[in-house]
Amino acid sequence: MKIIEAKNVHRKFGKGDLEVHVLRGINFSAEQGDFVAIMGKSGAGKSTLMYQLSALDDPTEGSIAIDGVDIIDMSERERTEFRLGTLGYVFQDYALVPDLSARENIMMPMLMRGMNWAEAEKQADTSLDDVGMHGKYNNLPAQLSGGEQQRVAVARAIAGRPKILFADEPTANLDTVSGNQVIDLLGELNKEGQTIVMVTHEDEYTKYCNRIVQIEDGLIVAERKK
Amino acid sequence: MRSIRIGLLLGLRQIQRANHWTTMLIIFVMMFTFLNLIAVSGVLVGLIEGAERAVRINALGDIIISPLNDEDRVLETETFVRELESYPEIAASSVRYTGSAVLEANYKERRDLSGERDTAPVIVTGVDPELEDSMTYLSDYVVKGEYLSTNEEGYILIGAYYLKEYAELFGDIFDTVDAQPGDTVRMTVGNVSKEFIVKGIIQSKVDQVNLAAYIPEREFRRVFGRLDRNADQIVVRLNDPRENVNVKSAMLAGGLGEFAKIMTFEENLPKFLIDIKKTFNLLGTFIGSIGIVVASITIFIIIFINALSRRRHIVILKAIGIERNAIEIAYVIQAAFYALAGSLFGALFTYGFLIPYFEKNPIQFPFSDGILVADPETTFYKFLVLFVITLIAGFLPAWLIARQNTLNSILGRT
Repeated sequence: MKIIEAKNVHRKFGKGDLEVHVLRGINFSAEQGDFVAIMGKSGAGKSTLMYQLSALDDPTEGSIAIDGVDIIDMSERERTEFRLGTLGYVFQDYALVPDLSARENIMMPMLMRGMNWAEAEKQADTSLDDVGMHGKYNNLPAQLSGGEQQRVAVARAIAGRPKILFADEPTANLDTVSGNQVIDLLGELNKEGQTIVMVTHEDEYTKYCNRIVQIEDGLIVAERKK
Repeated sequence: MRSIRIGLLLGLRQIQRANHWTTMLIIFVMMFTFLNLIAVSGVLVGLIEGAERAVRINALGDIIISPLNDEDRVLETETFVRELESYPEIAASSVRYTGSAVLEANYKERRDLSGERDTAPVIVTGVDPELEDSMTYLSDYVVKGEYLSTNEEGYILIGAYYLKEYAELFGDIFDTVDAQPGDTVRMTVGNVSKEFIVKGIIQSKVDQVNLAAYIPEREFRRVFGRLDRNADQIVVRLNDPRENVNVKSAMLAGGLGEFAKIMTFEENLPKFLIDIKKTFNLLGTFIGSIGIVVASITIFIIIFINALSRRRHIVILKAIGIERNAIEIAYVIQAAFYALAGSLFGALFTYGFLIPYFEKNPIQFPFSDGILVADPETTFYKFLVLFVITLIAGFLPAWLIARQNTLNSILGRT
């Protein structure tokens, strides 16, 4: 079953002479349980594609359906609800709220879903345990290393059991050891059935991916299956 | 509800984790805004209230009994006074007789009979010195010489406004005499003249006291030919001034209204004084409102900078599914905290220090001992205004930033 289906996706930025055509008609799909890597050189359009697929941006043209739901015509509020219930995100720079502890960062989307405090706390601790952050529940992001912060970000992304986890260069700010740990973590999640779409430009981090999509100048130029 | 819960968590944590010096500075600004709002109008109103209080204590008391509209005197004054003695609420009272006379000084030294005489028209008040003192503490305002004694005759107390020496203080608008304690002055009422020795000079911030010449009532009646004992005014001080409406009602119910007009201090206040009080209050509120505008701009800038520096985190929260209004609520909570804490410290400072301080050390205005007036009800309404405006000032920047396009903000695009 196709969990992501994007057809003829175009994305332009700017107007007139300054217009930049970043995505030039992309057709992309992913199956439930896929671990897809979107690769390409800097400026190729890989992150832009991920933002379209993950309902963070509107394509200029084309259609995108996630889990059978057309996301193009959603209002801002509907998109927020949709992201909360269906998608998980891991950003390059961890994107944790600096005033909240590791546990509270993870609890945030759960509380938004209406979960009660005690339940959210319990689930957040479990998620932290799952990513190897046992005992660091009350640490603030500033008290954690980059690798640890990214693991908290992964824990936050998966705590709500999202249908798809989007990761935008999750290893870019990490050293090799920490980067590998995060990739291993994503690999384990995928083994458990989690669909993951990851943007990366480093081949070594695609070891758990079953599909690698190569982008160049806003078009998919190659696709490898492992 | 979910948004409120999230907003509350985010807001509280932002306050908790903020730089403590910055937080203290913001609270300090809010405290001074609150003080500006309360104290400016409080001092302006207190200036009039101080004058009012002085008149109440040093001249008119809590209940003022005066002749009925078609009468010249308080009828059956002696019966009236006896009746008053039966009221346990009354702490002191004084029966006053008043009349106009001409006071002349230095007439014995006057050699040139065609020269100008040293005279001044005065209002003479006949009192029982002891009762008047227990009623209005008049002896405390003797600035030169001594207070009258109950059993002696031939002495007079003269208010400062009737004396040349004090003329500069009030603009020299009255005729004055040049007299000092120990000097002899002559009082003339119609064809009757009597000499008095100046026993003391009285000076107060109450004009009614400065514009009076006090003599014992027995002599007053003799000089003014007042053979009946019906007084011009009876003033009453109560143990609890707030009881004056009830005591007045009891007096009227007891039939005393047939002999005289009975008014509470408040009823006796001239309308212009009430109008001045209202005007000062408005003026104070206007000046205070400038403070509110400054504070709201301060809060706006603080929250705006705060939100701007966290713009990326705000949109990340949006990206992971946190509703925009939860983020806005977080900033409103911060603004509410600053307003509440500032107002709380401001209120503590006002009621715990400023008001007691000015009660003990009134501001010395020329016509009043100024106090700080801040009645809790008005203070509460002013606080509400400050609070609501601060909330709006906190909400606006958060709204401006949270409404930005999620992706643009993540990518740092404006």
